[in-house]
Amino acid sequence: MGELRTEEMLLNVGPQHPSTHGVFRLVVKVDGETITECIPVIGYLHRGTEKLAEDLTYTQIIPYTDRLDYLASMLNNYALVQAVEELMDIKVPERAEYIRVIVMELNRIASHLVWWGTGLLDLGAISPFLFAFRDREYIVDMLNEISGGRLTYNYMRVGGVKWDAPAGWVDKVRKFVPYFREKIKEYHTLVTGNEIFVARVKGLGIYDAQTAIDYGLTGPNLRGSNFKYDLRKNAPYSIYDRFEFEIPTGETGDVYDRYMVRMEELEQSLNILEQAVASFPEEGEIMAKVPKVLRGPKDAEVYTRMEASKGELGVHIVSNGKDKPYRLKLRRPSFVNLQILPDILTGRSMADIPPIFGAIDIVLGEVDA
Amino acid sequence: MWGTGFFKGLGFTLKMLTEKKVTHKYPDEPYIMPDRFRGIQHFEPDKCIVCNQCVRVCPTGCINLVGKANPDPEKKGKVIDTYDINFEICILCDLCTEVCPTEAIVMTNNFELATYSRDYLMKDLKWLSENNKNVREENH
Amino acid sequence: MFGILDQQFSWLNFTILALAAVALLLVVLLFVMYAIYFERKVIGWMQLRKGPNRTGPWGLFQTVADVLKLLIKEDVVPKKVDRFLFLIAPIISFTPSFMVIAAIPFTENLYFTDINVGLLYYGAISSLSITGILLGGWASNNKYSIMGGMRSVAQMISYEVPLIMSFLGIVLMTGSLNLRDIVHAQIDSGIWFIFPQFIGFVVFLIAGNAELNRTPFDLPEAENELVAGYFVEYSGFRFAFFMLTEYVYTFALSSLMVTLFLGGWDAPFGLTFIPPIVWFALKFLLLVFYLFWARATFPRVKIQQLMEFAWKGLIPVALFNVMLTAVLKTLGIF
Ligand code: SF4
Ligand code: SF4
Repeated sequence: MGELRTEEMLLNVGPQHPSTHGVFRLVVKVDGETITECIPVIGYLHRGTEKLAEDLTYTQIIPYTDRLDYLASMLNNYALVQAVEELMDIKVPERAEYIRVIVMELNRIASHLVWWGTGLLDLGAISPFLFAFRDREYIVDMLNEISGGRLTYNYMRVGGVKWDAPAGWVDKVRKFVPYFREKIKEYHTLVTGNEIFVARVKGLGIYDAQTAIDYGLTGPNLRGSNFKYDLRKNAPYSIYDRFEFEIPTGETGDVYDRYMVRMEELEQSLNILEQAVASFPEEGEIMAKVPKVLRGPKDAEVYTRMEASKGELGVHIVSNGKDKPYRLKLRRPSFVNLQILPDILTGRSMADIPPIFGAIDIVLGEVDA
Repeated sequence: MWGTGFFKGLGFTLKMLTEKKVTHKYPDEPYIMPDRFRGIQHFEPDKCIVCNQCVRVCPTGCINLVGKANPDPEKKGKVIDTYDINFEICILCDLCTEVCPTEAIVMTNNFELATYSRDYLMKDLKWLSENNKNVREENH
Repeated sequence: MFGILDQQFSWLNFTILALAAVALLLVVLLFVMYAIYFERKVIGWMQLRKGPNRTGPWGLFQTVADVLKLLIKEDVVPKKVDRFLFLIAPIISFTPSFMVIAAIPFTENLYFTDINVGLLYYGAISSLSITGILLGGWASNNKYSIMGGMRSVAQMISYEVPLIMSFLGIVLMTGSLNLRDIVHAQIDSGIWFIFPQFIGFVVFLIAGNAELNRTPFDLPEAENELVAGYFVEYSGFRFAFFMLTEYVYTFALSSLMVTLFLGGWDAPFGLTFIPPIVWFALKFLLLVFYLFWARATFPRVKIQQLMEFAWKGLIPVALFNVMLTAVLKTLGIF
């Protein structure tokens, strides 16, 4: 039989495509269903946050950070205030630190839940999404109660937090922990053991730790390739050194491992929450003494980093003594993590786009800043 | 064993069939927000001292206000003349209400802003002062 | 129906038949509407939602409204499509789905034709729909739809093989391709074929699920990969036709399954005071419920895995089933 002549076809996946979650475009060259080349095109959501920040005072930048990774605004808030606090050498009161850790871990869980739900939705399983959002709703309600926002919290301030925890709030968190432990088990029943799911993600999108490091991957994407690296442990910030928790890692670095790492992280966040709630200080200040106008020192530079839900979120501030940064640079984990996509997609089939893409877990607000 | 996952999953969804539903009947039953919720601002013209702090702190620059001399010649200072917030760009970040020294501008728990035209999103002094339901109690 | 087909042609008979066909079409349409309603409710409940509840009491008119909306929508034909094929593809795809229902006996007396090769007829006619799907996908002149169309064809052709093989066992046992005879054989022996032909039943269930393009085998429409698959360019009532095809096949295939494996209208445990049509409907609903249930639970399989599963998994199993039945039959056990 003579060889069949096939033709390559250029396919635009996105920017408006159900599985790109936002405005992300992927130009793929396909031969049948096999991807021979792929180029991610980003920037549809670019708002120039870094440039805008040069014209904003430090307090004014905080609501802008909400809109980077809008699934984990608390963590973004923290990344910025942490940098400013370091710049100006501000010591944050203990109670504020506790509240911060609690809201950050809650938000991390919420962010992972969205990833879990939408990731599976992309694989055609429609129910997990609803279960994830039911439980996320509890978290969002709690965060709403403490900060007044459901998605964009604008909660942290340089030197502390905006509000104290309302009466009974900490108890709610306490009750949430065992509740959610049960739910994670349900998630595993519904999804993790499912043979179709396992068949679709095992052995897919493999890269080893060295490749991951070369690409600068962080967060679960790196830990999935069996590399124990988590800033909460490796370079503890806030009061993370007081809590005991594990850093889950995967073995082979495939999509399944990244999935398991994130699922395990949910548990670990619950552990942190449990400890933080148990040792929550009865009373105390929630704001440090800070000057009314926040002015950075002259000719100073800081770079701070923290473990956001997607990976290492770094903030670099150059200050020239004004109340506005001279330059703000954000190291956005989603953006960096996305770079490996062409590498692991090439040679796979069209049907592998959703799981591979989903396992990187990006948020376009953060990719495009 | 291969195959048990299917049945576990099927069993789980079957169990959920009779579970309590979590849907909120939103437009029929109002969605009650906690007190701190940041909704659309309420403005009280009498309290405003035209200090311009809210304008300066607003990160998106969506507040526009004009003051005028106090009509009562005995008193010094200014009173507010016009006060507009452009809700096309307001991000409800809470900074203006946080900074206002007299609580002239405060948040409410109302969040329904949808309209048929962008023009309606330009809220003026009158509208903002009439938006006086569900005003937030705790503002700082 | 009522022996009309055996009589001489007369305009009266023709009218009766035509009216009966229209009545059936209405029944099927009603079924489709309420199947969609039922599906949305069941899946909603499984996902802790309420499902449709705003149009009419308990949302009963929701799907009616949806269908109405689809029918009165503007008929958009994109500029660069192959116009003729684009227009007839939904019809090609829909007609066979309606034709196959003619062969299914719902009760002892309620059936349209009594064809001796009913099963064969079903298999042959139902595979015609693929043509419509492929044409629709190709004529749309859209990369996603052609991929969806190709996937459909590959999938449906592959799964037709195990589907048909899975009921060969029954044919061997009864020695007939006539669907009524098959039901009678079950009534006479007092045992439904799901028990002696359990392997066949499972194969049929899986292959049927795949034939219907439903989760976990809904790849042709894999929303997250191919947007909507072969009907991505369709809208309005042409789109409705494709949807209709799919649900009418759900109707047909579930009916066929009831007939083949669940004893048709036979009442179990001697509960004969319940009319046979109700029994048929109950069994039928059970199968339809399963389809929705699976949709609420499973993720989608991958196209490569799908093909592998058909050729390396289902077909050997189905063949084994045929062999086993043949051997048992020769030994006189069946
Ligand atoms: S809420 Fe924020 S954006 Fe809106 S007017 Fe106040 S300061 Fe400006
Ligand atoms: S609203 Fe408040 S902050 Fe704004 S000008 Fe009036 S008094 Fe000043």
